[in-house]
Amino acid sequence: MKQFLLIFLFFILSVSSLSASEIQKWLRPTTVPVPQDNLLTQERIELGKLLFFDVRLSRDNTISCATCHHPKRGWTDLVPVTKALGFKKKRGPRNSPTLLNVAYQNRQFWDGRVKTLEEQALGPLEADIEMNMPLSTLIPKLNAISGYVKLFKIAYPNEGLTKESLAKAIASFERTIVSTESPFDRYIKGDKKAMSPNAIKGFELFKNKAHCTDCHDGFNFTDGSFHNIGLNDGELQGKELGRYNVKKRAAWYGVMKTPTLRDVTKSYPYFHDGSVQTLKEATALCASGGRYEMDVKNKSTSMKDRELNEQEIDQIVSFTKTLTGPDLDIIIPKKFPQ
Amino acid sequence: MKTVILLLLTLTGSLFAREIIVDQKDKTFIPGTLNVKVGDTITFKNSDPFSHNAYTDDEDNEFDIGMQATGTTKSVKIKKEGEFNIECAIHPNMLIKVKVTK
Repeated sequence: MKQFLLIFLFFILSVSSLSASEIQKWLRPTTVPVPQDNLLTQERIELGKLLFFDVRLSRDNTISCATCHHPKRGWTDLVPVTKALGFKKKRGPRNSPTLLNVAYQNRQFWDGRVKTLEEQALGPLEADIEMNMPLSTLIPKLNAISGYVKLFKIAYPNEGLTKESLAKAIASFERTIVSTESPFDRYIKGDKKAMSPNAIKGFELFKNKAHCTDCHDGFNFTDGSFHNIGLNDGELQGKELGRYNVKKRAAWYGVMKTPTLRDVTKSYPYFHDGSVQTLKEATALCASGGRYEMDVKNKSTSMKDRELNEQEIDQIVSFTKTLTGPDLDIIIPKKFPQ
Repeated sequence: MKTVILLLLTLTGSLFAREIIVDQKDKTFIPGTLNVKVGDTITFKNSDPFSHNAYTDDEDNEFDIGMQATGTTKSVKIKKEGEFNIECAIHPNMLIKVKVTK
């Protein structure tokens, strides 16, 4: 296996101008991290998929996880925050983040308030503005559906249908939501024609002059870091405090997690407040140092005006478009356990 | 006599207390594991072109150096023995495992 990898790397190097360590940094991994107490099996993934698409997991049987994270909508909902409706048409304060490649993140939600997908999976179920389904109601409800009881018995034979096994099943499915091969992936593996000259120039700008890789780094185009990018000004009074709400740590004032740029053309609108509709506008906003340059408390030091001209912005946009691959091949369930 | 011995012990402790430099480079703490003694100082040096941070929520050694600008250093003194992690509040993938002995 090692020999094969060496030959593969040698082949890539022979057709690429990038160094070996740089190629390694951008290559998509072939596996996802999986916790020892929830190893991936087909039964767990399939069960998690059914639960993910099942509206009966919400209080009024109208909302599923897929309502806000749909595979045909970039694993998000493609609507502005003001139009994203949860339980009884309530509105949440944040843009639905894409679920693509969440398996590779070690902090979940925009504010990173939990570490694992198992912890994350139960949050929106109970949130009153989302599915508003108390687990004390949901677990008996699911246990009354014999089809689910049977599937849990197969997937988690020693655990029964509990909130823990429910979270594990949903997390297992979420770990399969990974990006597919994009033009960038083919380019990085040596196919020089996979990206246009403009996109290649955009890649260089992305890494160097524009400093995008200060945050959007590595194969997933996020380093999992938290920043206040200056979408709001001043003290943020009455506005979104981000990770500071998790703990009053000075470095967390107004910060949010850096989102992945994989399949970024499919996951508009952009930013945690969904305030930007186009990729060009989002790129220009970041490259100019944020919407507000002055008086932003705890603004990221990476958010500076990089003095890019319009052509350079367009080249970066051309590059980020190459991070989009085909939709994941997934069959959306139409029938659910009874 | 007891006072003299105590004074000597304190002085000896100070003499042997070390300063351990931890570099923050390429979004990584270097080194990633530390074996230190009570009284040692850890100095964080930011070699990246953007800000970093270092903190621990360990009850006995809690600290938070705040935002650390490029090219600056910040130090913390280790107070009690135990094992804990140090993270960067900005880059949670940055982690140091620390073991403190007497």
